[in-house]
Amino acid sequence: MVRTAVALLFSALCISLPAGRLVAAAAPIPQQAVNAHAQAMVDFKKRMDAYLELRRAITQKIPEVKETGDPTKIHEREVALGKALATARPNAKAGDIFGALSTYLLKSIEDDWNSRSPADQKAMLSELPKGLILKVNQPYPPNLALATAPPRLLAQLPMLPEELEYRLLSRRLLLRDRDANLIIDVLVGTEPSRTE
Amino acid sequence: MRVNHLFLAGLLALGVSTLSAQQAPATAKPAAPAAAAQTAKPSLEVSAPRDMDSVRFAIIGDSGTGDRREYEVGAQMTKAMEIFPFEFVIMLGDNIYGSERPQDFVKKFEKPYEGILTQKIPFYAALGNHDDPTQRFYKPFNMNGERFYTFKKGDARFFALDSNYMDQAQLKWLEEQLSRANDRWKVAFFHHPLYSSGARHGSEVDLRTRLEPLFVKYGVDIVFAGHEHFYERVVPQKGIYYFTQGGSAKLREGNIRTNSALTDKGFDVDNVFMVAELGKDSMQFQVVSRTGKRVDSGSLPLRPEPKQADDKSRSQ
Repeated sequence: MVRTAVALLFSALCISLPAGRLVAAAAPIPQQAVNAHAQAMVDFKKRMDAYLELRRAITQKIPEVKETGDPTKIHEREVALGKALATARPNAKAGDIFGALSTYLLKSIEDDWNSRSPADQKAMLSELPKGLILKVNQPYPPNLALATAPPRLLAQLPMLPEELEYRLLSRRLLLRDRDANLIIDVLVGTEPSRTE
Repeated sequence: MRVNHLFLAGLLALGVSTLSAQQAPATAKPAAPAAAAQTAKPSLEVSAPRDMDSVRFAIIGDSGTGDRREYEVGAQMTKAMEIFPFEFVIMLGDNIYGSERPQDFVKKFEKPYEGILTQKIPFYAALGNHDDPTQRFYKPFNMNGERFYTFKKGDARFFALDSNYMDQAQLKWLEEQLSRANDRWKVAFFHHPLYSSGARHGSEVDLRTRLEPLFVKYGVDIVFAGHEHFYERVVPQKGIYYFTQGGSAKLREGNIRTNSALTDKGFDVDNVFMVAELGKDSMQFQVVSRTGKRVDSGSLPLRPEPKQADDKSRSQ
């Protein structure tokens, strides 16, 4: 008898409440919507900061080179820093730093490429060093030209600290430690350049 | 045409009697340049500065090969210094090609320009696409550890840019520096040419969209670039004089497109260096080949501020 009365009361309440409120009342409290791109940016920055933190620790032992007339000191420091960073990240692999931002980066590169004239595309390809083997934790081949980063695309990409730089080879994006000459990430999913 | 701004006769009046700009070969012919170089007169066709109070400097680009041509240009520059005592040298990038081991700095820079370096003449380098950015720590390049920097000489301010990596930070820095510069002359130099008639590379349109508005807004007078392995004086664009001088060791023979509307003067049959002086109201320049021939020269007036955007702006 009592159970029947409760059931009737519940039914009556259900009918009188707007559907939305009923769902809200019944379902668990939903999490605030997350902007996936913003989250990817935040995560990218966190990973970059972690890399810089590691780098700062290493440069305590391998200090910044001062201006010098002795290129041996510059060369030795670059090599030592590159080796130390690679050793400190033995399991680093492509995509580790770009992470979920890769999707955005790929689209930016694709959009930039498609916005260029055939002549411009040809000029960009002609600039590319040939015979590159690009691997994370490897030095950028020291005898080869550094591919020029297209300024218009650079303006679309997240800004980097001075220690790091993007390099675009055709549609393949690298993250390079400038003074260590070390490739610290390669954008996964890009097509290899025609000249490779 | 802005040719009317060139007072080529002015230099001739200084006692130059050998070869005028108009007489020099313009672009490559099928004849082998090496053969032409061997039969050329050994004399050095450089005239003295017009004004010893002017800012005098030399310009080289794409120089760091370490091969014979670089040494020959270096030797001519050393000789030219006796007639035209330049106070410093700007380098337009690709300062060291290929490997950058310590010995490469000797072979590709210190030895070829030994005669200049021993006179304590400073070099100021910009980075090219063949240059490791750590070159900025190499003291003889006077970059103060920076990819992009500025320095002042007399009434002139120079802006050395890293055109390989024109990011927002550099653009912001450039605008700040340009906006506070009140020097008579503003000179920018970097590796990639905003305007070029080169068949291989051509104009760097992407870079131009970033830099040219700043150059026009803040009254940059002269822009030097390399990358193209030849010499080209471009028809002034939006009130700015553009020179491409990437042939101080490398040479891309016959690479200037014929009948290019951009070209005021081109030379792509031998390697060159350039000397210039910035006076009170004009810039004098001379371009000299590896064999000592002057292949271009002239006088370019300083433009009144603000710049007038009335020149032909033919984008290619």
